[in-house]
Amino acid sequence: MKKVLALILALAMVLCLSSVAFAEEEVDVSDLKVGVFWYAFSDAFLSTVRASLNEQLDEAGIAYDDFDANNTQATQLEQVQTAVTNGYNVLVVNLVTSGSADAAEQILQAAGDVPVIFFNRAVEGDGEEHTVLDAHDNIAFIGTDAPEAGHMQGKMIGEFLVENYDDVDLNGDGEISYAMFMGDAANVEAIYRTQYGVEDANAILAENDKPELVYFNESNTDKYQLDPNGAWSSAAANEFMSTNLAEYSEANGNMIELVIANNDDMAIGAISALQNAGYNMGDGESTKIPVFGVDATQVAQDAIAADQMTGTVKQDNVGMATAITGVLKGVAAEETLADAAAAVADSDDMFSIAEGFTNKLFVAYAPFTGEAE
Amino acid sequence: MNGYFKRKAEEYRALDQADRRRYWIDGLLNNALYILMAVFIVLTAILNKNFLSASSVSNIITLAAASLPMALGIGGCIVLTGTDLSGGRVFGLTAAMAAAFLQNRMATKLIFEHLPNTSGAWIIAVLLIVMLVGAAIGLVNGFFVAKFSLHPFIVTLATQLITYGIILMFFQINGNGGGPISNVAQQFKDVVSGPAIRIASKNVSIPWYVVYAFALVLIMWFVWNKTTFGKNMFAVGSNAEAARVSGVNVFRTTVLVHTLAGALYGFAGYVEAARLGSITAATGLNNECDAIAACVIGGVSFVGGTGNIGGIVVGVFVLRIIFVALNMLGINPNLQFIIKGGIILAACSLDMRKYLAKK
Repeated sequence: MKKVLALILALAMVLCLSSVAFAEEEVDVSDLKVGVFWYAFSDAFLSTVRASLNEQLDEAGIAYDDFDANNTQATQLEQVQTAVTNGYNVLVVNLVTSGSADAAEQILQAAGDVPVIFFNRAVEGDGEEHTVLDAHDNIAFIGTDAPEAGHMQGKMIGEFLVENYDDVDLNGDGEISYAMFMGDAANVEAIYRTQYGVEDANAILAENDKPELVYFNESNTDKYQLDPNGAWSSAAANEFMSTNLAEYSEANGNMIELVIANNDDMAIGAISALQNAGYNMGDGESTKIPVFGVDATQVAQDAIAADQMTGTVKQDNVGMATAITGVLKGVAAEETLADAAAAVADSDDMFSIAEGFTNKLFVAYAPFTGEAE
Repeated sequence: MNGYFKRKAEEYRALDQADRRRYWIDGLLNNALYILMAVFIVLTAILNKNFLSASSVSNIITLAAASLPMALGIGGCIVLTGTDLSGGRVFGLTAAMAAAFLQNRMATKLIFEHLPNTSGAWIIAVLLIVMLVGAAIGLVNGFFVAKFSLHPFIVTLATQLITYGIILMFFQINGNGGGPISNVAQQFKDVVSGPAIRIASKNVSIPWYVVYAFALVLIMWFVWNKTTFGKNMFAVGSNAEAARVSGVNVFRTTVLVHTLAGALYGFAGYVEAARLGSITAATGLNNECDAIAACVIGGVSFVGGTGNIGGIVVGVFVLRIIFVALNMLGINPNLQFIIKGGIILAACSLDMRKYLAKK
C-alpha cells in the first residue's frame, strides 16, 4: 500500500515539475557561444561562483568556455581579443583591475559589437560612476553594491559589541582595541570594507553611548595591515596576527580585543595565529576574541559553528551564477541587456537594479552568524 | 684559539699604513650586512622596547622556521648556479594535499571521503607522501636540467606552470569548486603547529615545527658539508666541466639536488597546512622569491659553488626581522618592498665585491 502511495506521489511530483518546465518559455540557446573571463582561477570565492555557473550553464544547455587571466589585465585583454576573433558572441568578464574604467573600456573596444556582461569586480571607480555603463548599450554589470558588505560587517560588529561590550573589553579600560586586515589596496570592495567595517560599528557604538573602536597599534596611522601581494591571503593575516600577538597580550594588558578582516580567508589566518597563542580554541574554556570576515565560505561557516569565529557576511555564489545565467538567457531571446537584467531583478528579492542605472544588477549580501541555520 | 688571535695581531702589526686602512675598510664592507642588521635591530629596539621581548623573539624564530625549509631546498639549486621558480607552486600543491589528506573526518565537506582516520601513522604517512610528490616534481626539474642542459630558469618556469594547473585541478576535486581546503584534523595541528614550549607568563609559544626546522638545518648542514653528495654539489656548482673530468657524476648530482629541494618544499607545504589551517589555490604564490632572496642575502652566490647553511639561516632571519620590525614600528607596508629590495641589492653587491677583489 505504502509503495503504491509513494509511486503515485512520485508520479504527481514528476508531473508538477514537468508542467512547470513546460510553463516556462523555452528559449533557444543553441546560438550562444559564451566566453567567461575570470580574473584568477585561484580566488576562493570566485571559484565557488565558477562551479555554480558552470553547473547552471550546463543545465541550461548554453555553450561556454572559462578563461583564466591569472591576475593580469593584459592577459585578459588578449584573451578577449582572441575570443572575439574565435566567434564568441557573448562575453562575461570578471575584470582584473577592479574599479578601472580604462581597463573596462579597453575590453569593450576589443569586444566591438559583442555584448559584454561584467560581473563581480567593479568597472567604475569612485567618482567615475556612469562613465562606462551609460556610455555603451551592449553592456551590463552584475555584482554587489561595493560598500554594502562593509556596511553590513560594520553593523554586525556594532550590534555584537553593544550586546557583549564588557566581555569583549578584556582589560576593562572601557575601550575596544581592534586589528584590521586588508586584502588588496587597489580593490574598491577592500577599501570600502576597511572603511565601513569600522565606521559603521562606531556609529552604532556612539548611538549606545560607547566610545569608538581604537586601533591596537597607535604608531600605525593606516589603521590596517595589508596583504603585500594583494591576494587576501590567510598566510598574510596569520603572520601579521602572530607578530601582533607577540607584542600585544593579556599579560601586557593591551590584548587585541576584536579582529576585523576583509574576507574569510584572512579571518581564518588570524584565528590560526590566535589559536597558537591559546585563544579561540572553541573548547568553551579559552578566551574567544571576536573575529569577523566576509564571504561566508564553507570554512568560515564551520569555524563559526565550532565557536572559533563570530560573524561573516554571506556573498551568494549561487545567486551570482543565477543572475548571470538569467541575463544570458535574455540575450538568447534577443532582449537588450537592460531588459534582461530587469527581468532577473523582478524574479527574486535578492536581485535589484542599482539606483540611477538600467544595466547594473545587484546581488544582495546577507549577514551570517550561524544563528539562522 | 689564542694562537689564532696572536697570529692575526702580528699580521696586522706587520701591515703598513695604507694596508691597515684597507684591512678595516674590507672588514667593514665584508661584514656590512651584519653591521647594518645590528644597527637596525638596536634602532628598532630603542623605538619599541617590545621588539626584543621574549614573546617577540620567539615570534621571529617561529616565522623564520616556517620559511626555512623552502630556503634550504632552493639554496642547493643556487649553488649549482641555477634557481628554482617552481618552488612556490610545489609548496602550494603539497600544502593543499596535506590539508586534504588530513582533514578532520567529521567535517561536513571532505575532499577525499575514503581515507584512514587520523592517527599517528597516517600523519607520518602523509608527510612522506607530500615529500615524495615534491621530490617527484624536483626529479623532473633535475632530469631536464641535467639531461638536456637546459637552464633551470626555463625548466622550473615550465614546471611552475604545470604545477599550478595541477593545483587548480586539485581544488576542483569532489565538488570543492575551488574553495579553500580547510578543517584539518586537530591531532595533525597538535604535532606540527601545536606548542612545543609554552611559557604563559611571558606570552611565549614555540610550535613544534620550529624544532623540526632546527633538525632540518642540522641534517642539511651534514648533507652539505660531510657527505660526498654535498662535496660533489659544490664541485659541480664551481665548474661542472672540471667536476666531470675529475670523476663527479654531474647528471646524478644535479638530479639529486633538485629532488632534495622538491622534498623540502613538500615538507614546507606540510607545515603550512597545519600552520594556516586553510589552504587556497593561491597558497605559495611568490614564495620561491622570498626563499631565493634569503639565500642570496645569506651569501649563497649565483656565481655558483659557494654558500653555506649558516648563511641561509641568517638570510631567512634577516627577512623576518625586517618584516617584524617594520610592523612593530607601524611603517607603511609599501616601504617594506623598497627596504627588502635595497637589502637584496646591497647584499649581492657586497657579495660579488669579494669575488671581484680576488681577481
